Amino acid sequence: MAVRYMVFVKMREDVGPAPEALQRAMGEEMGAAFAAGSMIDAGGLGGSAQSTEIRLAGGEEMTTNGPWTEAVEVAGGYSILEARSHEEAVEGARRVIELHKEHWPGWEGSVEVRPILGGPDS
Amino acid sequence: MTADAQAAVTAAWRHESPRLIAALTRVTGDVGLAEDLAQDALVAALSQWPHEGIPSNPAAWLMTVAKRRAIDRFRRDAVARREAESMAGDLREDTRSADLTAAVDHIEDDVLRLMFLTCHPVLSPESRAALTLRLLGGLTTTEIANAFLVREKTMGQRISRAKATLTQARVAFEVPQGEEREARLADVMAVIYLIFSEGYAATTGDHWMRPELCLEALRLARLLATLMPDEPEVHGLQALLEIQASRMRARRGPDGEAVLLEQQDRRRWDWLLIRRGLAALDRAEATGRAVGPYVLQAAIAACHARARRAEDTDWVRIAELYDVIAEAYPSPVVEVNRAVAHGRAHGPDAGLRILDAVAGNPALAGTPLPGAVRGDLLSAKGDRAGAATAFGEAAALSRNETERRLLQRRAGEISKTM
Repeated sequence: MAVRYMVFVKMREDVGPAPEALQRAMGEEMGAAFAAGSMIDAGGLGGSAQSTEIRLAGGEEMTTNGPWTEAVEVAGGYSILEARSHEEAVEGARRVIELHKEHWPGWEGSVEVRPILGGPDS
Repeated sequence: MTADAQAAVTAAWRHESPRLIAALTRVTGDVGLAEDLAQDALVAALSQWPHEGIPSNPAAWLMTVAKRRAIDRFRRDAVARREAESMAGDLREDTRSADLTAAVDHIEDDVLRLMFLTCHPVLSPESRAALTLRLLGGLTTTEIANAFLVREKTMGQRISRAKATLTQARVAFEVPQGEEREARLADVMAVIYLIFSEGYAATTGDHWMRPELCLEALRLARLLATLMPDEPEVHGLQALLEIQASRMRARRGPDGEAVLLEQQDRRRWDWLLIRRGLAALDRAEATGRAVGPYVLQAAIAACHARARRAEDTDWVRIAELYDVIAEAYPSPVVEVNRAVAHGRAHGPDAGLRILDAVAGNPALAGTPLPGAVRGDLLSAKGDRAGAATAFGEAAALSRNETERRLLQRRAGEISKTM
């Protein structure tokens, strides 16, 4: 049954801008996924310098503004997929890695695929 | 092979199969053969990928294998030897030159042609729906049989016959142009709508909805909208289905019982789908071209979607939209819906006048629809005895168990307050 998945693309923040070829390939891939109806939302995320974290610890609230210099990898973008199986969502996400491998030599990072609980037909 | 590896291969294949089958249909001119070749490629993938890993470009890998199989098959067929040689030449050349990802536009044209093929009027509406789910949705025969509540064998035969019919009728693999285009596009949209409705209304069986069918139809509508962006009705269809699908969670209560639109907990609506539906409706209107039934119905669905509370619904606007639909596309069912809208916008008597005028129509005989609406309008008017009778009559006519229980419940509730 169809489940919605949240996909995070994670990488180090100091990698610089993506090569043009990758941006173009990602644009095509996402266009196809939107066309096929399997991707229903996607977006890039601002860097950690634009992030704010509000933490509760030991009864104390603490607000911290980025950047997170200690974080190794941060989410740089997300997409929401609608897939008929976990494998289908993984396959959709895996292509992001393939494209990075092809168009951005030396890039290291990951995609994380997580089901959104209480999906569209639950 | 582990179950995981097999599932991963099948997922990758399913992802590519519509484009694979579409391109192979263009090359071979035979949709049945194209599907067989795509299946051959799946078998090859299942034997190789678990050891070698999924290739970085699965589409190109599958296409290369399928084309190689096509050449083998043509060669084996000694009678057609000469044609085989020329076909094999074409295929080889194509394989050499074609970087599939670079030829995406071409492939997308093929997918659109495939949609027009599987929705062709030489097929019965049921066969069109089944074949579309099979070839464009990548669903298995078992899944389609389960979705339509028929036996697997029956569905398998239906799909085989449909493919044979298309081959025998020598149906062209093309997007029709000129006068034919509009009617054929209407056929394609009708198939997608039929698949959605079958899932949404679930006219038979004991479930109120079969969501998997709704979501498949939604995918097809999104695909069609991307392939034909200049057609307002295509965006209208997508908008309508996105907005209707947004209510799936809310139209089923905790015990699986049906919940009507006005009683739904709107927090449980899928606001992401609503946003997508409203955007699709904007795109339809932005084409600046004359709209048709899907855009009008989507506009009505949007009136509901924009109301955060049922009492905020713009019923006057909805009644106006139904007037337009009734004028352009008159039908008894539209009249019944128009009666509901006018009843809400201008009082129950306004609704009952419209309902009375259409109630005797033979197309509505034996359906629970007029009774359910009459019960609703009479209850709004305060005529509890009349409402209870109408709901009871409607319940007796319902073929869907969940709907029947809903109508019986409404009849019971009205009687209790009398």
